[in-house]
Amino acid sequence: MPSTRNKQGRCYIYPTMKDLDLVSSESAQHWKKTLSDRLDPKWREDIDNFETDIVLKKKGKIEDRVFAETRLRMGAYGQRYDNGHRHDGNESRTIPFPTDLNKGPETKWDAPGMERIKLPWGGMSADQLDVMAELAEEYSDSILHITTRQDIQLHYIHIENCPSMFRRLAAVNITTREACGNSVRNVTACPIAGVCREEAFDITGYANAVFKYLLGHPDVQDFGRKFKIALSGCKHNPCGLTNIHDLGLTAVARPRPDGTVARGFEYVVGGGLGAVTYDAKLFSDFVPEEEVLALTQATCRVYARLGEKKKRHRARIKFLVADMGIDKFREAVLEERAKLPNDPRWTDFLATLPKFEEKPLRAAGKGIPKTNDAMFDFWCLTNVYPQKQDGFVTVTITLPMGDITSNQARALSDVARKYVKDTMRTTVEQNIVMRWVSEADLYNVYNDLKAIDLAEPGAASIVDITACPGTDTCKLGVSSSRGLAAELRTRLAVKFVEMDEAVRNLRIKVSGCFNSCGQQHIADIGFYGISRNVAGYIVPHFQMVLGGQFTNNGGSYGLATGGIASKAIPGVVDKLLDMYLHGKQKGEIFRAWVERTGKGVIMQSIADVAAVPAYDKDKSYYTDWGSVREYNVKDKGMGECAGEVVSLTEFGLKAADREIFDAQLKYDAGDIQAAGDKAYKAMLLAAQGLIKMFNIDISDDPERVMAEFRERFYDSKLFFDPIAGPTYANFYFGGHDERNAKLDKEKAGRRLKEAQIFLEACHNCNLRMSMGANKGKEGILAKPDAKA
Amino acid sequence: MNLQYLNWKIYFENPAEAEPDEWFKVFSTWIPDAPEIFIDVADYKHVPDGPVTLLVGHYVNYSLDATGRSLGLLYDYKHPMDGSDEEKIRASLQGILRVAKRLEEDAGFTHKPKFKAGSLRFIVNSRAAAPNTPQTLEAVKPDLIKVLAKAFGEGGFDLEHLTDPRQRFSVQVTAKGSPVLAEVLKRLG
Repeated sequence: MPSTRNKQGRCYIYPTMKDLDLVSSESAQHWKKTLSDRLDPKWREDIDNFETDIVLKKKGKIEDRVFAETRLRMGAYGQRYDNGHRHDGNESRTIPFPTDLNKGPETKWDAPGMERIKLPWGGMSADQLDVMAELAEEYSDSILHITTRQDIQLHYIHIENCPSMFRRLAAVNITTREACGNSVRNVTACPIAGVCREEAFDITGYANAVFKYLLGHPDVQDFGRKFKIALSGCKHNPCGLTNIHDLGLTAVARPRPDGTVARGFEYVVGGGLGAVTYDAKLFSDFVPEEEVLALTQATCRVYARLGEKKKRHRARIKFLVADMGIDKFREAVLEERAKLPNDPRWTDFLATLPKFEEKPLRAAGKGIPKTNDAMFDFWCLTNVYPQKQDGFVTVTITLPMGDITSNQARALSDVARKYVKDTMRTTVEQNIVMRWVSEADLYNVYNDLKAIDLAEPGAASIVDITACPGTDTCKLGVSSSRGLAAELRTRLAVKFVEMDEAVRNLRIKVSGCFNSCGQQHIADIGFYGISRNVAGYIVPHFQMVLGGQFTNNGGSYGLATGGIASKAIPGVVDKLLDMYLHGKQKGEIFRAWVERTGKGVIMQSIADVAAVPAYDKDKSYYTDWGSVREYNVKDKGMGECAGEVVSLTEFGLKAADREIFDAQLKYDAGDIQAAGDKAYKAMLLAAQGLIKMFNIDISDDPERVMAEFRERFYDSKLFFDPIAGPTYANFYFGGHDERNAKLDKEKAGRRLKEAQIFLEACHNCNLRMSMGANKGKEGILAKPDAKA
Repeated sequence: MNLQYLNWKIYFENPAEAEPDEWFKVFSTWIPDAPEIFIDVADYKHVPDGPVTLLVGHYVNYSLDATGRSLGLLYDYKHPMDGSDEEKIRASLQGILRVAKRLEEDAGFTHKPKFKAGSLRFIVNSRAAAPNTPQTLEAVKPDLIKVLAKAFGEGGFDLEHLTDPRQRFSVQVTAKGSPVLAEVLKRLG
């Protein structure tokens, strides 16, 4: 096994092929071998790179926080207890994971994690659902969990299984890239786009274009936090929730003088939930369709350049917009937009829009069949939406807590194949819709769904409760959101059929902490997890938020009303509903009733049911829903919603490390020329990474990289080693001059060694600069954001 | 073959008495001071045809499981194991039977589970390692039969290959008579 040691004592050891096999099981090799040729080349490269990163991490070649952000950007998220500790109700115990290795700061390598699978605009085919069902069985726990952003999450996954999962997903055209981390997350959209009776136009193709254009785009790799985009076909429904997003696009069809219609979007920025809610600000009431991608790119560039990077709690774009004011923010974005060189992709996608027009599998029906089945009639009332296309309806499949098992998912795929082709979508209410169901087939669809326990009524109603994972699996969870949601759902379902319509149509949403993944601020009745000290005991509580507006794309936020003990909440909800039902004026919606009644009166009225009994009277209040342990908050850890701030330079250096690792493998395998070529590429990537400190737009052209490296790092002496001076830069210069030369074993071996030393010098240079060792030289260097 | 990711499911004598909340409580008591590495218990009683109550471990997951709409105890070995296929089949079968016995004896249950030692399902949880084909059955059968012969005696059981190609490779094992769990375990050594 080759190894070198530098003068700081840092030892490089590159594994042999045999070592690589140790971290890649036979199953993993099977998927790599059988699927690689079927993958999009870029996606294949991403997955291969991630697999190599896993190997390098195990060899100690990648820092914990850099690997954390790397895996987050592939959707591999941490889970509760991944710091290796779990409180058993009495004391915190160490979980004795077999290795000491970490996959992030304070995150154990062997701890199971969550994988988030991006479904742009919630779209999925029957084949894709089948594959996700298989992955849930083989790598997770046979449960597919649908999130409030139309993703699917699998839990309890070992990080080393991720490359196989990614390959199997990519083979059916699904990527997990940028599903987590400081990146553009899943692009969500109205699940009834294209069939909605009230939309301006079908936004599916636009959502797909935004997703495709920004996926892996260089301008979205340097954010301080995540960036969420949503599209909606209309202003008043809640399907797209554009107002709670970093960037919201709502379809507008504007008539032209010549009688034709111009398509465009109302463009809002800086909305957001979280601990402190922010209202989205109107950037423009009409951005023409041909301008949407360009303006979005400019918005991302401004956010990357001016957004906060150090103070994580102030790093979302909503803070930037609030600090600058919408007018100045708009000015900065438009200025940025004017500087952007034209990209044909901004408008090319317009020609592909017809591809997103879905067609039915079956002929249109002539009305919903009449039956004597009362449950079918009730299900139609809550779960069936008549499409704008006569004779067709959209069916909502209500999923308790957003969960569906692998067997159910496969069976659902079969129902979809039988009746609707590939027209399934996930929803922000954690359900699945099947569009283009012929009215003639509806009763058969209902019975087929009933046979697999997927015909539960109550979609988009008070029993269709949204809940984030909370303390079940989330590191940030304070209280059990799923436990509470399950309890409320069970209790409310008993009286659901008899409920007054005004109550039946209310929404309840629950988050395990203030970060609002459960979207409690836009529910009629929302809760987020907190804890309270009651006579010396810590008691699980939820802050109650009343009167949020789910309609109008999450039009306004509710009012925090007061903390309620978790176990008291079902009683409180019963009382609240009773008060509303008997106290509301004719036609008065819940929000209006809350405002008219007042927080004080409401809290006073529920005080009796909200009281927490003393510990010795009723211990159940001191244990959370879905738990048998006495409550504590000690399992709460550091969340990974924020990701790690990893500079583009660090990512560049990591890519260089990966390349030199591959070069060594090629060399060991006797592929001499490839080894030498890769060794040069590693130097190129490292130099490019350093340049990104000053110019994020540096191109991939070797000549430009060389010129800029020479100017910024060599002529300025910034790169010079305190002892060796310019020596190590000369390795790169030499490699560059001879980069097209044919190499024999000796020359390739030499280049490999020189490249390793150059990479080490680049790491050291980055370290010196991050420690401020080159203070005073900024004048020579600073050309921030110069467009190459 | 190189069999990996072996699962076994054992069915109940008294499925109606399995109470998910009790299982949740019992599994939770297993976590502290366990000789195995356990992480948490997950509650999925709100979904059918899948796990109901899941004890998540590092090497093995155990669950009260309703996959296929039949309630039982599922043993899911998640990491590559050493040894021959016969050794791996035997070790995993011993694994589930020991846990079944432990559950039958656990004082935390009001409704004590009672398992049918002669009603088992063998599953290979890897479509890569074992596609659900007749060829896989032919390859697995000799080692499976050797182990089951030890457990139930030569010819003391029937095998049924569950052939749905979308499901994982699975074989239903039905022993003749009513074997006693402790005795089966003893025979396996």
